[in-house]
Amino acid sequence: MKVVINRWHAIAQWQWDTGRTDEHGDTEEDVCGICRVPFEGCCPTCKMPGDDCPLIWGECSHVFHMHCLLKWIGTPASKQQCPMDRRPWVTAERKVSGS
Amino acid sequence: MASDALRNQVATKWQESFNRLNRGSPGISGLMLFSEQAWTVASAFLYPRDLGEPPKDFNNQKIRTAFDVLMQCRMLPMLLESFVEDMRKRQHLITRDVEEYMAQYEATNSPSTIASLILRLADWYATWAPGGELGHTISAAFVTAFQTHIFSVLPPAFAGGFKRLIASTLELSTEAQDSRLWTAFEVLGLADRYEALIASVCYEHIEEHVLATCKGKWDEPMLPTLREWMADNVLPWMLLPYARGAKTTDEAKTMLQGVGSRFDFHVCKTLCDLRTQEVFDIVIDYPDSTPALQDLKECLQRVDQRAQLVQAIRKANKRRLLHPGADTKDILTQYVSIIRCLRIIDPPGVLLFKVADPIRRYLRERPDTIRSIVASLVADSESGDSLVDENEPIQPLSVAQIDDYMDPNWEPEPIDAGPEFRTNKPSDVISTLVSIYDSKDLFIKELQVLLAQRLLAVTDGDYEKERRNIEILKIRFGEAPLQVCEVMLRDMTDSRRIDQHVKTQQPSILHPTIISRHFWPQLQSSKIVMPGQLRSIQESYSKEYTLFKPDKKLRWLSHLGTVNLDIQLQDRTITADVPPLEAAFIELFSEKDSWSVEELISRVGAVERGVAVKALLTWVDLGVLKEEEGHTFRLLETADSSGGLRPSGSRTIIDEQPTVVTVQQQQAEQMRVYWKFIEGMLTNLGSLPLDRIQTMLKFAQGYDRTVDQLAGFMEAARREGLVTVREGLWRLNRG
Ligand SMILES: [Zn+2]
Ligand SMILES: [Zn+2]
Ligand SMILES: [Zn+2]
Repeated sequence: MKVVINRWHAIAQWQWDTGRTDEHGDTEEDVCGICRVPFEGCCPTCKMPGDDCPLIWGECSHVFHMHCLLKWIGTPASKQQCPMDRRPWVTAERKVSGS
Repeated sequence: MASDALRNQVATKWQESFNRLNRGSPGISGLMLFSEQAWTVASAFLYPRDLGEPPKDFNNQKIRTAFDVLMQCRMLPMLLESFVEDMRKRQHLITRDVEEYMAQYEATNSPSTIASLILRLADWYATWAPGGELGHTISAAFVTAFQTHIFSVLPPAFAGGFKRLIASTLELSTEAQDSRLWTAFEVLGLADRYEALIASVCYEHIEEHVLATCKGKWDEPMLPTLREWMADNVLPWMLLPYARGAKTTDEAKTMLQGVGSRFDFHVCKTLCDLRTQEVFDIVIDYPDSTPALQDLKECLQRVDQRAQLVQAIRKANKRRLLHPGADTKDILTQYVSIIRCLRIIDPPGVLLFKVADPIRRYLRERPDTIRSIVASLVADSESGDSLVDENEPIQPLSVAQIDDYMDPNWEPEPIDAGPEFRTNKPSDVISTLVSIYDSKDLFIKELQVLLAQRLLAVTDGDYEKERRNIEILKIRFGEAPLQVCEVMLRDMTDSRRIDQHVKTQQPSILHPTIISRHFWPQLQSSKIVMPGQLRSIQESYSKEYTLFKPDKKLRWLSHLGTVNLDIQLQDRTITADVPPLEAAFIELFSEKDSWSVEELISRVGAVERGVAVKALLTWVDLGVLKEEEGHTFRLLETADSSGGLRPSGSRTIIDEQPTVVTVQQQQAEQMRVYWKFIEGMLTNLGSLPLDRIQTMLKFAQGYDRTVDQLAGFMEAARREGLVTVREGLWRLNRG
């Protein structure tokens, strides 16, 4: 017997590749440390998730909604530090995954 | 002739009056003689003769003189007394006739016999009547005596016969009417005595006609036709009993005014009664029955039977609509029709308000009401599932309005409105339906579920219809609640774009819909892993995806979707559309020919045994697999002849099961968590009323249900035999 697939309509969810790979994906929800909304949701000012409301990675390994972090950095209280560990914020170069 | 006793009496009276006249002086024999003669002439003239006897020839002048003399002698009362006495003695002649005719009527039941009797009585009357020139006193005494007699001898059966006779005249044309008869009714006092009876004949005639012509006839206005019929058929007849003696048309009109209005009222009342009786089916027949509703509206303006109409609708609804056997969709359809129908009859909405309450309360208790409303909101207008009239403008949901007294169009509430009535500015049907519930959140949730279900079922990339639906829903519910739907649509667009990109890199038979998980309703979860080539196909797609969107990756919901595949066997090829689990299993059969259910399950991951067997049976049905001893399935490389003919060719085996968890399912699931609280409570406290349970549940973490929702849950628990309820007290079912 041979099975020939002609056409397959499938359903998938997209996820940010935050580097913290969790094979099952749905155990601990990754949320933005600033707005407490899941990364796959969107920051409080956006309406569309995903490419319209991207993430930003810090050298310190913390990840935020980009809009949330920029807004935070824009406040004097931030002193340009990561809100989680108070180290100076340095945006990480994204390693291209899939290797 | 008068009796001797009377004669003696008269003689004595004569003497007395004569003496009085003569003031005690000796008598003048001439005068005496003269007055005696006058008496003789007058009483002979008045004497009630038998109809068989020929009329006597009287000299008018002589009679006049005789009466003058008697008047001068003040003898008229005496004469009258003697006349009445004569009548009394002769009335057996009439009695005999009445008995004869009535016997005949009893035998024939023919109204014409009654007519003959009445004409005969009229003859007696004419023969015995003293004539008007003799003065009012005499005629009045005669009429009274005559009528008293005939009414005393007419048997009870006469009334029935008379009614029949009147009814028979209603069928005659004006020309065919016997005017002698109507004169006789008048003269004999029948018209007065039987006034109510004559009217009742006419009422019944109207009722019969209304029933015969209007029953079940709802597609044209009947009231104008009925009024025409009254004018053409009944009015000419009415002239006979009600406008006798009218000399001009105007005079007749004036005379008929009162009675005409009474009969018109009766037409309206009869039609109103009929339509009230029929109202439930008229509503079903709407909009074809619109003319009947217009009639009812007009009738109700004339006849105050609004309360009866409300009662009739409520009763019919209770009996025919609000019972467990009725489909929620049918209840909604009828409710919407009731709304539309009552809007015609009563624009201010008082009737609707009174009728709607039980329907709304009943719908609120049904678990699938919201889903039915929502389904009709997004239904194709062609499918006929839609409750919404296409011609009705799409408008935002209206919230309950408070009277605006500054509104120039404001009108006081109708008098039968009742204190709890609030004028509903005619809001659209959807608003009315949504307002069954206190909040529209449940609708939004259900809408999201439904739209998600539909979008996920789109395999050809065409979701224009859903886009249009969402646009319409945004107008109704506002932008904000439908924001997530916007994201869903965007996911659809993005998925297509990604698919097109992947296609340029490498041809793929896999076309996923890639969703933003937080913006879609909860999906049926499962963790199956695709085997063999299916897995490779997924992986290669994932790779292309991540190349295209470097920061993102895909998580497959492998159990959802549809696979179109060919099964190439030694002697046949079968093409089928199947769910992914079916595809996964058959893919495994390309590794080896025989698998146990357990083996198969271990290869795809978490699948319930029942679900797995069901998927395998799909292939058994298609003649690809055969079930063997010990829960084992074997591939049929060549068609199994013993199993009968298995058709090869194309099949679609797609479950009707929704991929999306319905709101109801979600709630039932959440509610189950609270069951152990309720169980504990009832174990410790025996029995509790609903509101106590509600109060105590509020201590449970995250409990946010309304008491209505709790009631629905308890009811479900009762159906499952977990609890019982008596007089509002719930207890565990220990039986
Ligand atoms: Zn954020
Ligand atoms: Zn944002
Ligand atoms: Zn940090």
